[in-house]
Amino acid sequence: MRDVLPAYPSLVRSATLVAATYRGRVVLSLLTAFFPLLTMAVWLTVVAEGGPPDGWTTDDFLSYYAAATLLWNLTGDRVVWQWDADMRSGDLSVRLLRPVHPFHQYATSDLGQRLVFLVVLVPALVLAAWLVPGLNYPADPLRLAAVAAALVLAYAVSLLMASTFALIGFWSTQTTNGWLLWWGLGSFASGWVAPLALMPDWLRTAGLVLPFRTTMGFPVELLMGRLDAHQTAYGFAVGLGWLAAFALLYRVAWRFGVRRYQAVAG
Amino acid sequence: MLRARYGRTVIEARELAKHYRVHRRQPGLRAALRSFVRREHVTVRAVDRVSFTIAEGEVVGFLGPNGAGKTTTLKCLTGLLHPTTGAVRVLGHTPHRREPEFLRRISLVMGQRNSLFWDLPAADAFEVNRAIYGIAPGPYRSALEELVDLLDLEPLLHKQVRVLSLGERMRCELAGALLHRPDVLFLDEPTLGLDVNGQAAVRTFLRDYNTRHGATVLLTSHYMGDVTALARRVLVIDHGTLRFDGDLAALVEAHSPHRLVRVTLRETVPAETWAGLGEVSSIDGAVVTLAVPRAETAAIAARLLTTLPVEDVAIEDPPVEEIIRNVFAHA
Repeated sequence: MRDVLPAYPSLVRSATLVAATYRGRVVLSLLTAFFPLLTMAVWLTVVAEGGPPDGWTTDDFLSYYAAATLLWNLTGDRVVWQWDADMRSGDLSVRLLRPVHPFHQYATSDLGQRLVFLVVLVPALVLAAWLVPGLNYPADPLRLAAVAAALVLAYAVSLLMASTFALIGFWSTQTTNGWLLWWGLGSFASGWVAPLALMPDWLRTAGLVLPFRTTMGFPVELLMGRLDAHQTAYGFAVGLGWLAAFALLYRVAWRFGVRRYQAVAG
Repeated sequence: MLRARYGRTVIEARELAKHYRVHRRQPGLRAALRSFVRREHVTVRAVDRVSFTIAEGEVVGFLGPNGAGKTTTLKCLTGLLHPTTGAVRVLGHTPHRREPEFLRRISLVMGQRNSLFWDLPAADAFEVNRAIYGIAPGPYRSALEELVDLLDLEPLLHKQVRVLSLGERMRCELAGALLHRPDVLFLDEPTLGLDVNGQAAVRTFLRDYNTRHGATVLLTSHYMGDVTALARRVLVIDHGTLRFDGDLAALVEAHSPHRLVRVTLRETVPAETWAGLGEVSSIDGAVVTLAVPRAETAAIAARLLTTLPVEDVAIEDPPVEEIIRNVFAHA
């Protein structure tokens, strides 16, 4: 890892340059960056017609999905598609020949592209939090520091989970379909479909121990000030546990998977 | 004897074998449905018990028809593939472990594959390679200057890699692959698709690079010109098995019992003149080409000079392509 870190700034920079090369693509991608606002609109309509559920107000949904926009853009799941395409085409060979493990190449590529979004998104969210009535995030410095750590953890878990899943490509050609199924099921336990607090008991209980909440619901709830110290510590513990678990799984899958690589097409 | 001119062994393949298990099915809907339920697999022996060594500083040509096992061998030597059986050592490393110290000392240039960042200008793509290989600023500057000069890259540096022509891209690929000054360079069809000038430029550069830096080069190419221009020693592989390992000249001698004697006459002579001298290969006006037994070449040339109105005599080997075709035809 010590050997790899010096290469990170250049690799992230190059990915940012690539992402910023095509203006049309940047603009269209930025529009999709606000996708969670559609879910917010659905919930606001439901709340307007049926009234808010216990413990939640219209402003809470507004705050929840505005913050969710940030997490939507802080996920590493794009690497699954990159790994899959490279394994099928044989372009993984080019990455395998470099003295930097492919994981870091895909991670920096993803990070670089995320930066383009975050440069636009973060100021937009800060401005919105300041100007839009109803958006309410308690500005306690300790909490904000914990939120920053939770955001880093969310990205790290999401990236490692996606990268580990991508290695299935050494055994099967159905990685992306499998991932979509995994992500789709996970979206109920992560807080994408609805805040976990509004889910049935069994799903809420499962969600608290599965990895998905770390990547979305946990940082958002923390930012909104809905978690006490004990719940916050528990959230970090679960996230760090999954981070270690995926790191281990990744190493094992890599060790056995890379032997099966056939370096097709030239 | 050839090996004696070079240094220590840097590449060693011992009984190297790589077998693939591949899915096979007949064409058509019925076969597709049957294959959905019951898969048929076959084992392809891409490389089968191949052994050779290459010394430091050697340039070796790797020849063989399509599917012979050249690229698979190269992939085993660079660590992209794990051998099924046998052992490979390159620069003292086991390639498939892909240790960073090993990867920093080799390069594989694949003529049909892009390794530079497609959407970036070449200069930015080189900068990424600098970071990846951890090249210090001083050596990077001097390597870049040398490569820009030798490969005439100055006009290309600020163009996106994807808009470069094939020849321009290949020159940039070579520069990108050599910025870290690899000790061992693997080249897989480096002149594929290039025009005659492009091929010549790449060959000149590679010869120059080998001379300057003493790099070991293993080259596969379908263009015999690449091999004859660069390699003194060749490995010939077919159906995954090594058929020949030695001096290119020895290959020519072993598989071509004839040499070509090209005679330019001052005046035409009757056709029967050539009887007993050799087989007439072609007649083009006053220029007659005879295929003569290798051992009798000197004697026949002397007879021609003394008995016929000869303006010029040239003796040469048949084209290497023809010889290689013979090798494979008899394999």
